[in-house]
Amino acid sequence: MKFVDEFRDAELGRAVAGEILSLVEPGRHYKLMEVCGGHTHSIYKYGIDDLLPANVELVHGPGCPVCVIPMGRVDDGIAIAHRDGVIFTCFGDMMRVPGSAGSLLDAKAAGADIRMVYSPLDALRIAKQNPDREVVFFAIGFETTAPSTALTLKRARIEGLRNFSVMCSHVTIVPPLRALLESPDLRLDGFIGPGHVSTVVGARPFEFIPADYGRPVVIAGFEPLDILQAVAMILRQLAEDRCEVENQYKRVVPYEGNLRALEVMAEVFELRPHFEWRGLGFISHSGLKLSEAYADLDAEARFSVPGVRVADPKACQCGEVLKGVIKPWECKVFGTACTPERPIGTCMVSSEGACAAYYNFGRFARERQVV
Amino acid sequence: MTGADTCGSHHCITCGDDGVPLQVVRIDEVRGLALCTHEDGTRETVETALVDAVAPGDVLLVHAGTALTRLEHTP
Repeated sequence: MKFVDEFRDAELGRAVAGEILSLVEPGRHYKLMEVCGGHTHSIYKYGIDDLLPANVELVHGPGCPVCVIPMGRVDDGIAIAHRDGVIFTCFGDMMRVPGSAGSLLDAKAAGADIRMVYSPLDALRIAKQNPDREVVFFAIGFETTAPSTALTLKRARIEGLRNFSVMCSHVTIVPPLRALLESPDLRLDGFIGPGHVSTVVGARPFEFIPADYGRPVVIAGFEPLDILQAVAMILRQLAEDRCEVENQYKRVVPYEGNLRALEVMAEVFELRPHFEWRGLGFISHSGLKLSEAYADLDAEARFSVPGVRVADPKACQCGEVLKGVIKPWECKVFGTACTPERPIGTCMVSSEGACAAYYNFGRFARERQVV
Repeated sequence: MTGADTCGSHHCITCGDDGVPLQVVRIDEVRGLALCTHEDGTRETVETALVDAVAPGDVLLVHAGTALTRLEHTP
């Protein structure tokens, strides 16, 4: 398949791995964070870790939108879903995220009308087909997904649909990165920047990382060669004592982003003063809510929600995993009490979560090393 | 059940960074939508408001039902 096969070429992969080897300084340990869960998934799926020298460590960042949703928001969603006449819609993986008393999937089993959708447009279609029901879409995701929700809300407004609303839990990528960089227990040498988030926001929002924190950023695609090349580009910057934002994913990411997407987001959303991230706590101006112009389509205003903050389970170390302080297998419950079938923490839920990715692809390689 | 099983793809569609190249089959100019096809032949309606005018045969990078960029254009 075009745009895919040429970025999975094994011979080229070995050549880039050789280039990486030539760029590392012996005795120096490199810690690079891949911000995005999609990268984490690809790294484990294709065994990219195995192609890197032992002193180049990839640390998994907070870029999985499922993994960062706190339990209290799941509880709020479930409370809406249990209301009479409500059809609650969400993306598939969100259904399995544990709240304080079960997941949306458990609520569905208990009788709530909860439906999986592939896009906000699907939720809008359900609203048109069920004019006597209230249809709520649980919107999650970074700037990649937010424009899709925004366009759907505009469409709902134009078409005069009154039985559709959105529970907005969209988040933005820059504030958690800044919070991570301010974190005293984390030392990073560079960042693999999120590819498709950058399709929307462009490369400019990441310029603060080299400017304020002196760390290189390389925006990368999701195929194995993309990630390997991004690692090589970061190492080359470090070797040449350069520090800037580079774009490895130029075939998709324009430096300025998608201006139409940014415009529609600015019209439909506004920043929340604070938003809670699982494991990272409250981060200022990191979440989106509906703007005044669209407030009547805000599910949280239309339905009363508990809005209670729920602490993460004590055994769960998703916070440390999300900050890259520990590796997934270093969590006390990894692979024992917490598995993709019965997740305790959100990092084990989505296939982009560091724990699930490692559980599904990486643990066998580690077992081999132990033996 | 893994996330991938749930979503029917390698990546979870929930992920902010899931993007799929789809080929345009037909355009609904009035509603700003395009009927697109996956490599396996399954079809999906895609919002095209964020990209320049699309034509049948174009390849779009689609996330959560919305085209984010045009990968290939048929003039």
